[in-house]
Amino acid sequence: MIRFCPPLNPNRGYELAKGTIAAARRSAEMVWLSPIAVSGGNIATLDKGTTCSSWNYCGQRLATGSTDGTLSIFDSPDPSSSSFTCNLKTKVHAGAILKVVWVPPEFGDAVACICSDGSLLLWEEIVEDAQPLQWKLCKSFESTSTQVLDVQFGVSSTSLKLVAAYSDGHVKVYELLDPLILKNWQLQAEFQNAIDSVTMFRKASCISASISWNPQKGENQGSSFVLGFNSDTPQLNSSKVWEFDEAHNRWLPVAELALPEDRSDEVYAVAWALNIGRPYEVIAVATQKGIAIWHVGANPELDGRLSVEKVALLSGHGGEVWQMEWDMSGTTLATTGSDGMVRLWQSNLNGVWDEQAAFQPTA
Amino acid sequence: MSGENQGGAIVPYSEEAKKPVVYPLRHGLKPPISRLGISWSRGNSLRVTVFRQPSEDSENEVGGKAVEVRLDGRDGEISDAQWRRIAYGSVSPFALLQSRKNSFASLSKISSTTSPFDAEWWEYVLEYSKDISSLLGNQTSTTQSLIEDPKEVLKKDPEPSNLKAAWELMESFYADKLSQAWLPERLVDWLADYDSLFSSTQETVHSKLVDFQKDLVSLQVIEDEPKYWEVMSSALAVGWLDIVVKLLRLHGSYQLDQLGNRETENGLVEAVAVLISKMPRMRPELEAGKLGECFKAKPDFMKAWEKWRAQIAKLECSTFWIQCAHRQTQEGLRNMLQIMLGNTNNLCTLTCHWMELYIAHFLYIRPFTVGLESMYGLAQKCIQLKPMAASHRLMGLLIGILGENIEVVLAECSKGFGPWMVTHAIEVLTAGSHQADTLLHEERDNLGGISMEELHRLVYAQVLSSHPLTWQIAPIYLTSCIKQGMGLLEMLLYKQPVDHNQLLLKNLEICRLYELDSVSSNIMKIAGMYNWKHGKKGSGVYWLQQARDEARLNRIAQQMFDSVGRSISDENFRQWEGLIQLLGSEPKTAGGLEFLHNYRDFKKSLLQIRDGKTTDAARQAVESLISLMKNPCTPQRFWLPLLHDSLKLLNWEERPLLNVLQTNLLLNKLQELSIARLRPDFIEADLPPHALSSVRLALATNLGRTTLEEQ
Repeated sequence: MIRFCPPLNPNRGYELAKGTIAAARRSAEMVWLSPIAVSGGNIATLDKGTTCSSWNYCGQRLATGSTDGTLSIFDSPDPSSSSFTCNLKTKVHAGAILKVVWVPPEFGDAVACICSDGSLLLWEEIVEDAQPLQWKLCKSFESTSTQVLDVQFGVSSTSLKLVAAYSDGHVKVYELLDPLILKNWQLQAEFQNAIDSVTMFRKASCISASISWNPQKGENQGSSFVLGFNSDTPQLNSSKVWEFDEAHNRWLPVAELALPEDRSDEVYAVAWALNIGRPYEVIAVATQKGIAIWHVGANPELDGRLSVEKVALLSGHGGEVWQMEWDMSGTTLATTGSDGMVRLWQSNLNGVWDEQAAFQPTA
Repeated sequence: MSGENQGGAIVPYSEEAKKPVVYPLRHGLKPPISRLGISWSRGNSLRVTVFRQPSEDSENEVGGKAVEVRLDGRDGEISDAQWRRIAYGSVSPFALLQSRKNSFASLSKISSTTSPFDAEWWEYVLEYSKDISSLLGNQTSTTQSLIEDPKEVLKKDPEPSNLKAAWELMESFYADKLSQAWLPERLVDWLADYDSLFSSTQETVHSKLVDFQKDLVSLQVIEDEPKYWEVMSSALAVGWLDIVVKLLRLHGSYQLDQLGNRETENGLVEAVAVLISKMPRMRPELEAGKLGECFKAKPDFMKAWEKWRAQIAKLECSTFWIQCAHRQTQEGLRNMLQIMLGNTNNLCTLTCHWMELYIAHFLYIRPFTVGLESMYGLAQKCIQLKPMAASHRLMGLLIGILGENIEVVLAECSKGFGPWMVTHAIEVLTAGSHQADTLLHEERDNLGGISMEELHRLVYAQVLSSHPLTWQIAPIYLTSCIKQGMGLLEMLLYKQPVDHNQLLLKNLEICRLYELDSVSSNIMKIAGMYNWKHGKKGSGVYWLQQARDEARLNRIAQQMFDSVGRSISDENFRQWEGLIQLLGSEPKTAGGLEFLHNYRDFKKSLLQIRDGKTTDAARQAVESLISLMKNPCTPQRFWLPLLHDSLKLLNWEERPLLNVLQTNLLLNKLQELSIARLRPDFIEADLPPHALSSVRLALATNLGRTTLEEQ
């Protein structure tokens, strides 16, 4: 902020003016984003015991999960309204729901629920035969020994893919067989999040995982996602970009988003930025060292790897990062973490990343 | 500026200032808060979900809140409705200017002599600027009508806005080339219009006048009141001549009963009033009701100025002052003469902040100031003499303009007035200077290869996108961004809900307008799936067809096979019949649908036979059957049900309906089927166990009969 303070002595005035200009010039370099004026307010009230929430693709529906296994769906009466009320509650599981993820809208109105026993359930809103509209369980991915930690959907030109990261450090990619029905999934691949695909890490124990698909839409876009673990096995932790090799029908690690000395760092969250026309991709990776911003080259080099460059390490939340989300232009990163704050990050005209604003929840 | 002054903190721009602003996020929940969730909605509105740690004791407590935070950079000065009016109103001037720019660009390609910075061009920019300015409110000069009638309270003019004030500054300095020669006078007018904007943070001449206005009604002998003289002098210092003259004429000596014994006093008052109203001004014209004499040419003005100053000096030295008995009048008037003679001390005392002092300098000390450099120097001097009590965004902007630093101007616009201002002001800035043009259009790697102009348009479009009533104008700005605009537009369209038909149609219309075929087909796909899954199968199929989504349509056709294939008498058939009709017969849109059409025709003829229709119907049914069995689109698992349904045709009593060739075809298919049944993935039709053998028998019988007949 530029201010004219009363000069302490009369000779300071000229310096004051000069200083003001200098400050303004510096501020021109620093801030290019719109000033942040906060408006808005409460848009939905959640029930007791709610643990997780997720907005659908257009922000018109909110799904929440709670400790008693209830899935709640909130809707607004019309698209211009921003007040959401709960229109449906359905008990989907005996235990708690830990995470809710919407299925892409090209496949209907459906959510995936990760439950406390480690199972993954797909619930769908559907009218069947002569029955009224209702939410139905359409698929249950059960697992006995391991738990699902994170799940994300990726849409390619022809199909829907689901990536699930498990507590034993395994990654499973499922493909939907019939675009009309969310029931039939085929396991397309199973691997561990390691560059070296030969070694198997048998006794890995993972606390959390974070998956983010390349959000690019379009006909020619291949499938790729980034994945990082928070585990006791150093090799599995670092975030790797996995790309589907159509020719050989397999998933390949094409980039590792960690400097050699940081490879064993536990990863809290990853987020792949939307790309509306940059010649490179931007991915944010949060570890205990902070939030790193990576530039990833669009085209593979001779060895099939993508060039990567760590362009910033942001101080983050002084602990665990819960969630990171890029805005629709892929230029502003919103993060939240264990300090209980929401922070916004942007790069300035000189490519220097910095925190632009923070929000502190207050009663 | 040097490091030694740190303790004084001359400019509070330090490490501390670099820390981001922390905004409170009010959610109204009782602590403890266990976790937060974040999600970007459309545009740049961020949704934060606050989860509360559940406590054991209370039953019906709230478990969390979802809160929306709009990061739109607007201040509270302008209401939402007013802001939308401005947003919508600025679309057409902006679009018009872009199209003119494009035609200018294509012209300059043809003839190298035409540059977009021709004289003609800035006229367009000025027209644009005026259009935009008119949207921001019709500001009439408040000072002009401040005191209309002696004892009348202030006229209630619409509140001037900072936005309009900022726009006018930029218009004067960048867009209006004609005003370049008399910029100081433009600033005099500007301050007259907008001095009140500074009143909220400090005293101004305007606020002094407003206060005095309130007292005016209760004052009996106005000229005895020191405030009367002070306010008048202040108003004179900033050049609000008409007000000063009006106030002077309230002087008691004008009253008829006093005119006789206060003749000299009245003469002096009137002489000052006349001198004030005759003040030479270097400007082409003055608004009606404004005082002063205009001179366009500098020599004429200088001559008049010298003469005017000589008259003032003469009056100052005149002997009439001794004859003026009223002390306050004598002092007040002479004080005013000192102002007009440019007495720096007087001006400094009577003005309230540097901008007022700056204006006073232009009017009475340096009326010949030209050029931004000297104006900037003068501004610095005035800041030194009379700093403002608090920072003001308009002042930051003005300093940036005077300092000829486009980056600062941009930053001040952005920080002080938000994305709307920057996006629209860039047009004016680039018209004003080549430096700005280069700076704003240079492609920057750090921004992902876009220019600053594009960046600001993208930011503004995002602001528009975040509101359901303004997102529809975002495409106008996005399509003016050559590099990343379309990418963002695609995202914006993808994020619109499809479950409201009107919105969906509007969405598709925008896609059509900008030839975004893949986006529109994706939207239709989403709409198709939404309808299909929500029980509106007809609309579902319609939208999927529009989207040319063969994969899904084929699957729908498959589902229909499953439903219609069971039995001829099945009620399902009637249910599906309409849908098959809707799916149409174009094999290109859906491969399996041709089969369904034929199948429907076949079933219809079979139904007619069952209802007792003639051999003709039976013949037609046979035609359909053969064409179905010949068609490679017909799924194999349908072969047996088809043939089983046709038993009556195969055993037609009157005469065999199939010739040898046709019968052989069917027998071959039956054979193929028998082999296929051995494969593990074969799906057995839901038919009686003897179905195959009865068909085989019927075909054999028919073969025998038809061979006999053909011989």
